[in-house]
Amino acid sequence: MSMLPPTAVFRFPWEVNSIKEGESVRTFGRLVCYQPDESKATLTAQHASKEHRVFVQTQFVEPFNPIIGAQYLVLGETEMYEGVGVMVRARVLNCVDGVNTALLQKAIAEQRSFFAERESKQGEVAQPQDVT
Amino acid sequence: MQAAAMDPADEPPSMLWGMDPIFSAFARLFVRDILQMTESVQVPGIYFYNLHPIYKVDVLGTVVYKRERDDFFCYGVDDGTGVINCLCWKSNLLKEEEDPSKSGTKHSDAAEGGFDLVAELRKLRQKQRKRCHLEIGELIRVRGPVKTSRQQREITASTYYKVDDPVMAVQIAWMMEVPQLYRLFYDKHFQLDEAGDSAETSLSKATNIIKDFLKQRLVAKFRPYDVQDLLQPLISGRLQTQSAGQEAVAGPSGCQQLNQLLKEVLQVLQDQGTVYRKVKSQDEVYHVTIQDKDLLITVKDIIREDSKREKYAEKGCHILHILSAVRQRYSLNVSKAALELVLQTLECDSDIVSTSDSHYIAF
Repeated sequence: MSMLPPTAVFRFPWEVNSIKEGESVRTFGRLVCYQPDESKATLTAQHASKEHRVFVQTQFVEPFNPIIGAQYLVLGETEMYEGVGVMVRARVLNCVDGVNTALLQKAIAEQRSFFAERESKQGEVAQPQDVT
Repeated sequence: MQAAAMDPADEPPSMLWGMDPIFSAFARLFVRDILQMTESVQVPGIYFYNLHPIYKVDVLGTVVYKRERDDFFCYGVDDGTGVINCLCWKSNLLKEEEDPSKSGTKHSDAAEGGFDLVAELRKLRQKQRKRCHLEIGELIRVRGPVKTSRQQREITASTYYKVDDPVMAVQIAWMMEVPQLYRLFYDKHFQLDEAGDSAETSLSKATNIIKDFLKQRLVAKFRPYDVQDLLQPLISGRLQTQSAGQEAVAGPSGCQQLNQLLKEVLQVLQDQGTVYRKVKSQDEVYHVTIQDKDLLITVKDIIREDSKREKYAEKGCHILHILSAVRQRYSLNVSKAALELVLQTLECDSDIVSTSDSHYIAF
């Protein structure tokens, strides 16, 4: 029996800190700092003239070649750490330097609005959905 | 994870599934929808999304799970909406191990500095292998039929390969494109036109009846009443279905319907160029374009004469030039569509040849 990991839903970096523990997420940011002794990497992203940080636990994806200043895509589970807050324990950490972040944001928003649209349409039809 | 089962009565009959173009395509559904599709009651192995019959899909996602056996890979693919297992069989090419001794001797035989076939084949095989061996975190594209095995949905890949996406361009394009596909196709209901006697279908049926008649009998010219009776069966059929279990409706009589239909058909045939009215007078006479020998000869003569002139000798005569000449010499009522049919006929008979899309010249 294959045990597939849960779906990693796309989140914006500024949403990560408000996610509860144990959620599988996929997010992105620019690598500003890497502490190999602690297996901790820090990604940042600009939004609404504020800099948002995402902390990443890199134990599972080491060794990786850290390119400071490059854009990275991280996929993993959220964990709460004392003093730090939310950290993403990475299962996948890919360098995607050169990515058009504005376009990526647009694509994520487009996918979300599509699902929201569909859900509201289904709600209108008012069919009882048996969600197990 | 399964959504509520669709009411079996809602399923369209399996005979009609082939009419839905999505059935024959690799549907680019979100993995979430693939996992939630209901399985058909009529034919297990076919699934339904929004009343569309689906059996093969196309996904793009990140590999988050990998299991390798001698014969196959099992990749868990996550596209951000769901994770699904993909069974990817290894092709025979990739299973062969390199035999160093064999390749060694062959290498010495190869021409020096020339095209080394063995080395090239080895490189090709390595490239193919790289495309099929994926690691966790890499992007994979999988196409294939959906199967439910051991109560888990999985895709048996008919095609799979690693996608090189260094700046996420492919993933972004996919995320933008798939909602559009949903809006335009997948979320639209599977419309089936039952064999109804809609106004459009009976018009095309009628047009074909008249066209076939004119062709078979090699009719050169006719008047409306000559072909009127051909359409009678269509009208009687229509009247019968109307009267079957319906109160009398104050509508057009059979005769009026026939006249109306005939008028529409003749208009369609004129628009297509199949027939034309050489002389527009009280007497409604229709000439069948390609049977009009005089017209054919006139057009041939025009092209032949003009091809001799220096102006047209090389490039040929443009169709609009021929059209104005025909209208001057022969009949004002020859339409461009009719002329195109004439030119096609002449070209088939090798009397003229087209030098470009709209230029013609005589031999």
